Amino acid sequence: QVRGYSEFVRTAQSYHGRPIFALFCGDKDAEGKSWCPDCVTAEPIVRKELHNLPDESVFIYCLVGDRAYWKDPNNEFRRNLKLTGVPTLLKYGTPQKLVEEECFKAELVRMLFTED
Amino acid sequence: SVQAHKEEDNPQKTMEVNGLTPVPHSYDYDLIVIGGGSGGLAAAKEAAKYEKKVMVLDFVTPTPQGSSWGLGGTCVNVGCIPKKLMHQAALLGQALQDSRKFGWQFTEEVKHSWMTMTESVQNYIGSLNWGYRVALRDKKVTYENAYGEFVGPHTIKATNKKGVEKLYTAERFIIATGERPRYLGIPGDKEYCLSSDDLFSLPYCPGKTLVVGASYVALECAGFLAGLGLDVTVMVRSILLRGFDQDMANRIGEYMEEHGVNFIRGFVPIKVEQVEEGTPGVLKVTAKSTTGDQMIEGEYNTVLLAIGRDPCTRKIGLDKVGVNINEKTGKIPVNDEEQTNVPYIYAIGDILQDKLELTPVAIQAGRLLVHRLYAGATTKCDYVNVPTTVFTPLEYGACGYSEETAVEKFGEANIEVYHSHFWPLEWTVPSRDNNKCYAKIICNIQDNERVIGFHVLGPNAGEVTQGFAAAIKCGLTKEQLDNTVGIHPVCAEV
Repeated sequence: QVRGYSEFVRTAQSYHGRPIFALFCGDKDAEGKSWCPDCVTAEPIVRKELHNLPDESVFIYCLVGDRAYWKDPNNEFRRNLKLTGVPTLLKYGTPQKLVEEECFKAELVRMLFTED
Repeated sequence: SVQAHKEEDNPQKTMEVNGLTPVPHSYDYDLIVIGGGSGGLAAAKEAAKYEKKVMVLDFVTPTPQGSSWGLGGTCVNVGCIPKKLMHQAALLGQALQDSRKFGWQFTEEVKHSWMTMTESVQNYIGSLNWGYRVALRDKKVTYENAYGEFVGPHTIKATNKKGVEKLYTAERFIIATGERPRYLGIPGDKEYCLSSDDLFSLPYCPGKTLVVGASYVALECAGFLAGLGLDVTVMVRSILLRGFDQDMANRIGEYMEEHGVNFIRGFVPIKVEQVEEGTPGVLKVTAKSTTGDQMIEGEYNTVLLAIGRDPCTRKIGLDKVGVNINEKTGKIPVNDEEQTNVPYIYAIGDILQDKLELTPVAIQAGRLLVHRLYAGATTKCDYVNVPTTVFTPLEYGACGYSEETAVEKFGEANIEVYHSHFWPLEWTVPSRDNNKCYAKIICNIQDNERVIGFHVLGPNAGEVTQGFAAAIKCGLTKEQLDNTVGIHPVCAEV
């Protein structure tokens, strides 16, 4: 689990050579609830599929920042990782990703984790 | 075909029609689509909307050079999409040159990186491949990356890349297997030459290139390679762009020649030898004249074959189910409802005999076919007045008859051709050609001067042509065209 762009990149680089899957969500408040309602829906669905991750792979759960940071069209996640929305679930280094409502579908999450 | 449809509705009759081995009444799938390209995917997604149980089989046999790609077919992976992106890359190179005259100042020499371009293009294609897989899964269409072939009535065998075979049955099938580039059949062709299947993912810059062929594939590829700064030669056996308006074809060739593309006309390669290994290496091409005994030789880093495409219909077991194909061309004849001679087997896309080889046509045919099969619709695919664009350095958009075909069909005295050269405003300041852009319309005098052919050679030809295609479909006449006020200053106003 990481927070912010720099921490994400550092962590991803440290696992270079292994398949990396990452879920990007909005920050959580003191009660552990995210400002992003779709992230609240998606997280348990994604976590339920984690047992399908391939051997040797890494799963990074990344909090992107607060709502204001996310809304900025120039934030690092948008600029460098080309993220267009949260939640985003992706396979790092490939064009394979699921965005927003796509993350609600266990079938699709499983496909991302298990197929080439 | 009406008769065939009646038989289709009666499963009892279906068994009698097949007549051979008894087939199960309950099938694994309502519909199996063989081929996950433009046509196949459109048909599959549409059928899923009608809650049919659908499977798509897609498999890419690697090229002799080892190239392969993901779901989406030719257009997405090794056709329209990467071609247009690379054409755009070349146009941007030209735009950079023009920009100086518009005041942009940069002192560094502008260079092009093949690797950066190819990586970006392949990345985008990868996102499309993934998008199709998400779409199919989301719509509950079963997708298998496996080679499909018929083994008996209503039954296909799917073989994946590990060689594992599975059998599936379906009530109906759509064959949408598309085509692959043809090779010359000369020594060295498969060992050393590339095709369009290899070009768009080539992991090194092709360097000095010989393009063999005069198809739109050949000219478009030659065009953007030259636009990226490479030394390009096109070897043409006879005419350019067979099947297209020849006056327009010659103008395209002339423009390319004046802008740095070398043409060798009236020759065919007879052997390709490797002089030096490498990425790229050096190849020696020996060619013979088509009109005499003259032989020539040339050395190139890359030889790109673009001499035609052949349908993937010979090794899919069509003989096992009795589907007729044109033995010479491999194309499948169908009636105007895309039905083969076997009532439960349909075909769409590039493999069809006497139909246009275009993505939007395949998509349209696929969707309408599915509507007719599952939604009781009757609309058939309209193959008339389909607009097209050739993305050569000077783009060519067309809709309707070529001048030659119009003369042949209506008689020279019955058609009137209106034409005009034009100089795009954007070309004036950078002093680009003032006499190359050209447009003509062909009108049928006996039918109110109905516009039956539209041809334009100039920037953004595709964008210009699309609107006129709709007008032609509505029966545009010369008078209506004259009464339409132009937008100024744009090329289309001409």
